[in-house]
Amino acid sequence: MTTTEAALENLRLIRSLMEKAHVYRTISAPAALAGGVMAILASAWPVQHAATHNGEAVMSDVCFLTDWLIILGIASVLNVILLRREAAQSGRPFISGGMRMALRALAPPLLVGGCVGVGLIIFLHNLTLAAVMWILCYGLALLATTSFAPRSLTRLGQAFVIAGLMIFFAWASHSDVLLLSSDVGPASLAMGLTFGLLHVVYALAVFFGRQPAEVQAK
Amino acid sequence: MIDFDQIDKLIHEKGRLSIMTLLSTRGEWAFQELKAELGMSDGNLISHLRTLGTAGYIKESRDESGNRPRTSYELTTAGRTAFKEYIELLGEIVKAAQPT
Repeated sequence: MTTTEAALENLRLIRSLMEKAHVYRTISAPAALAGGVMAILASAWPVQHAATHNGEAVMSDVCFLTDWLIILGIASVLNVILLRREAAQSGRPFISGGMRMALRALAPPLLVGGCVGVGLIIFLHNLTLAAVMWILCYGLALLATTSFAPRSLTRLGQAFVIAGLMIFFAWASHSDVLLLSSDVGPASLAMGLTFGLLHVVYALAVFFGRQPAEVQAK
Repeated sequence: MIDFDQIDKLIHEKGRLSIMTLLSTRGEWAFQELKAELGMSDGNLISHLRTLGTAGYIKESRDESGNRPRTSYELTTAGRTAFKEYIELLGEIVKAAQPT
């Protein structure tokens, strides 16, 4: 092997290792699928009830908040279990440098979005705006991991931010929604379309995708 | 004219190059992470890490606070500089070989 060939081969090795080392998936696809299905099921009833009863609420604001916190809890626990299993299968420690890096990126937008959303529900009784806040901050959290996340997660983050903005403008420009006695219906619809449908689409894309971009790069 | 003797033989070896590359991507890597990522045996990895440590390219730190002691590694300033110079030299070699 000539020096040039050796140099080229070593440069390829450096590139592939750097790409590999920079990829960390924060959301397990099966957990996303389970969370998505739970979100769709949880949102279906309030949306259907509001649509057939002139926007009448099927549950209280606190009940809406509790429902979604339970779904968040179940999906998070499932995600941790699956990520731990994936780490064990590949011989990596669960709490790795990649995970620490991911937590540092995810924590600020998730904490801000979570707290403001809960505040909007408890103090201002504005469920739709709380849902929009959660959607946007979750999307921004995923986008904060772009430098080391697989492309599919970045796409999911972009989809959440775009959907969040569209829902916000749709909600803000329709005075009828603002006049409803309770906005459990519109808020549930927003949650179902994003945390439900987008997660299911993401999981299916990962399951059935020909070759994820991060694998092709290797 | 490129002086091929400038190539850092210590880094030029594939196993050590792989270790240096991973360590250059982020702050520190645990031994188990390096092992999983590179698929090396314990003995092989330890031997390369020892060589790089002796050259002053990497430094080792031990964390005994958890249930299991954790040994991690990171590049030193000298290691980072040597790795950067090594990549630059590879680039020059490839560039010099391209027809003008």
